[in-house]
Amino acid sequence: MMNRRVAIVGYAQSRHQYDMQQTREDMVFDVAKGALKDAGIGREDVDTVITASTDFLDGRTISNVFLSMAVGAYLKDESKVEEDGAFAALYALMRILSGNHDIALVEGHTQASVFNPHQVSSFTFDPTFDRQIGLLNDVSTAAIQARMYMNGYDVSEEQIAGVSVKNLANAANNPNAQRKMPDITVEEVLSSKLYYDPIRELTISPSSDGACALVLASEEKAKEITDNPVWIEGVGSCQDSYIRDRDLLKIGSLQIAAEKAYKMAGISDPFAELDVLEISEKFAHEELMGYEALSLCREGRGKVLVEEGITEKYGEVPVNPSGGALAADPICATGLIRIVEAAKQIREEADGYQIPDVYKALAHGQFGACAQKNVVFILGGE
Amino acid sequence: MERFIKELAKKRILGSKCPNCGYTYVPPRSRCGKCYTKLGEENLTELSGKGDLVSYTVAHVELDGHGNFLDLGEPKVIGAIKLEGADSTIFMPIKEIDPKEVKEGMKVEVVWGEETKGELADMKYFKPGGR
Repeated sequence: MMNRRVAIVGYAQSRHQYDMQQTREDMVFDVAKGALKDAGIGREDVDTVITASTDFLDGRTISNVFLSMAVGAYLKDESKVEEDGAFAALYALMRILSGNHDIALVEGHTQASVFNPHQVSSFTFDPTFDRQIGLLNDVSTAAIQARMYMNGYDVSEEQIAGVSVKNLANAANNPNAQRKMPDITVEEVLSSKLYYDPIRELTISPSSDGACALVLASEEKAKEITDNPVWIEGVGSCQDSYIRDRDLLKIGSLQIAAEKAYKMAGISDPFAELDVLEISEKFAHEELMGYEALSLCREGRGKVLVEEGITEKYGEVPVNPSGGALAADPICATGLIRIVEAAKQIREEADGYQIPDVYKALAHGQFGACAQKNVVFILGGE
Repeated sequence: MERFIKELAKKRILGSKCPNCGYTYVPPRSRCGKCYTKLGEENLTELSGKGDLVSYTVAHVELDGHGNFLDLGEPKVIGAIKLEGADSTIFMPIKEIDPKEVKEGMKVEVVWGEETKGELADMKYFKPGGR
């Protein structure tokens, strides 16, 4: 249980695209200003600011050096996390729960067009062994995991491609998505460029420029600010071992993060109780593995949920009606965007891809090779 | 790690076996990541160089270090290998096999360079076989 209720009271995101043609500072400024405007507050009302970016992805050390101004953080409590913005949201929540702050601004961004993020991922592996051998990056390790999952649970490439078909078609209705493919077919996914078998261009999330910002407030402030707060009812975070010493047949840290979040939110049957989920599937097979880790189905049965349309927009448990990470992946913003998309569903603002009657939603962020670290939020309306 | 690399000159692959929980790391570690027991020289254990292919991918591209994916004329196999007696998985090239013939669960063994010098490159690749 949380000792204080905390709500999402405002947010903004960019139109994610391959090349934004905008400086990083301007892109960040736009979403920070947009989120404050959405909340109906000024930067003087913000007590604490947390941003998310990485030095490697931004191509400079102390990557937030010129961003404090863009997020209105001068002379305020401010820090940066080198991971997904969904973790920044977790730390902002903790700051409010501490009682020392009432309003927090959270921002995450990446401009992946600046430098190939898959190359960047290769620098996150063990420098004395794996990097010397030089085979590992986020795509090659995902391929090894996908192959293991396919063999372990008799999952076909077609079933994995089904995730891309669902999400990229969903993205067609999301104005902020980058990869919109309303008429995409399984055949089209399976004939897209093969990178590391079985991973193909259309089963990898695209490289995107994008940013997202979120305003969190304590219960007292939230009620002053908005008539439509989205409450954080549960949260859980978990980190797993380095890839050499991890069971890749499941996403164990996501399972633990979800269990913590469900317990805090009082959820005993996620399949029945969640109205929509927004998850960070950096690769199509990760969504199937995610269903299992989130206890929507038993291990190895994720394929059935996609095949039977259960996670389609019209299904019993819609997953990624926004298109998910496969539709746009501005890396350090991606999980934060999932939180915003889940909140939009609760506030009935998802024009064109609104799921009817959303009271409870799940949002998920991840970081690291083969989803090493995961955070899960459970959101609820009034 | 230094000892591990030096021993490769003698065609020996060292792991470290945790005396408390039994987990065996390769390459060796100085502390067990599972139970936090300190691991030292006395916990080093020689591994056979043979193991199971637990998963793999056939690479059709590779990164050039400068942010470009280069298309490979000949696909390359990257294997996830559990060496006999080890709990860690290592990721190494698999050669001497048609990529289409690679199967999960295959037995593989290390192929050493002709002249081993005590560097990672002494382990050239793994090939099917062993046992």
